[in-house]
Amino acid sequence: MAEGAVYVYGIIPAAEQGTLSVTGVADRDVRLIPHGPVAALVSDFDDDALAAAREVRRHWRVLEQASKAATVLPVRFGTVMESDDVVREEMLVPHAERLEALLRELEGRVQLSLKGGYDEEQLLREVIAGSPAISKLRERVRMLPEAAGYYERIRLGELIASEVGRRREQDTGVALTMLEPLAVAARAEEPRRPDAAFDLSFLVERDGIDSFSQAVGALDEKVGARIQLRYVGPLPPYSFAQDELTAGADPWA
Amino acid sequence: MAIAPTSSRGGYIERPRPSGLADVIDVILDKGLVIDAFVRVSLIGIEILTIDARIVIASVDTYLRFAAAANRLDIGSSEGAEGLPDLMESVTSGGAASKTKGVLEGVKEKITGGDEDSGDKDSGDTEKEPARRSSRSSSRSSGSGSRSSGGSRSSGGNRSSKS
Repeated sequence: MAEGAVYVYGIIPAAEQGTLSVTGVADRDVRLIPHGPVAALVSDFDDDALAAAREVRRHWRVLEQASKAATVLPVRFGTVMESDDVVREEMLVPHAERLEALLRELEGRVQLSLKGGYDEEQLLREVIAGSPAISKLRERVRMLPEAAGYYERIRLGELIASEVGRRREQDTGVALTMLEPLAVAARAEEPRRPDAAFDLSFLVERDGIDSFSQAVGALDEKVGARIQLRYVGPLPPYSFAQDELTAGADPWA
Repeated sequence: MAIAPTSSRGGYIERPRPSGLADVIDVILDKGLVIDAFVRVSLIGIEILTIDARIVIASVDTYLRFAAAANRLDIGSSEGAEGLPDLMESVTSGGAASKTKGVLEGVKEKITGGDEDSGDKDSGDTEKEPARRSSRSSSRSSGSGSRSSGGSRSSGGNRSSKS
């Protein structure tokens, strides 16, 4: 068993040795490879390929489950190492100190995610009403036959997109101003959908979830008429475990 | 599922809702520790997942889409001048908005569809449950909690029915 390759889910403190009741990727049991103060959460893996659509769910469940009992440093989906020995010698031994520090840093803290989405129609109405240039161009484009107005339409869309971008920035700022003081750390991701307002991740003390949620409620009261909030968590601190484990990499900052 | 979605828009948010895979798919694919030089497994289908997680915003397609959506809007002052029938306007603009959503969500469903209930099965992909929601409380409750799926369970209600 220790001969074969292993799939790596994450790192937990070695002291926290709960049993996991979930099945890992490729239907294998999840187990630990401990080294000193840290342990890698792994399962055996002897295929060459991973059916991502199915296994990403397993990956997610294992981390969800593990994070209920322990602080977990999630490892990027799809990470496989050659053997238990390699996990120990290449990952745990050289990085033990750093991993331990990261775990300590994240102890008692969880990730909360907050996504904001616009109602596209409402957003566009506001954008058009707020900009004479866009409004005028729109009128012109509407008069043109479909085929003739191609470049005008691109121009119109571009103007709208840039105005939407400005609004995004504004709204992201509002959200961060209200929420960041209640979090240990915050990350803003590039919105991935055209109607997205913001995509924020916060690292929050477990004890502080309630007051953070209150602030989210206050934000909702403020922007809820324009922005639909999706507030999810607690999650393992995916967005706050972004180190690359290579020799000589920068320490956690 | 057993958990009522946190309603925004008017409703007061009291706590975060438990995550579904759709909520975290992008962070799972994008975040987490990277162990350099040891990823050697090939990922089947990862492109689809990645594309879904990264719908490009600044592109001609997006511009055209914005423009089309803007053009379909029925805006008061110009309404009469354009001479488009009201009914058709509202149908097309409504349709456009939901169609776009449908496409985006459709992809996501392919990835996350039914995960709440089938995740612990050996082969969720080959074994289709025609009526997941309703079958959950009866057919899968081997244990004692067959009545617990009512709808008031808080966190953990969307996890496996054992636990």
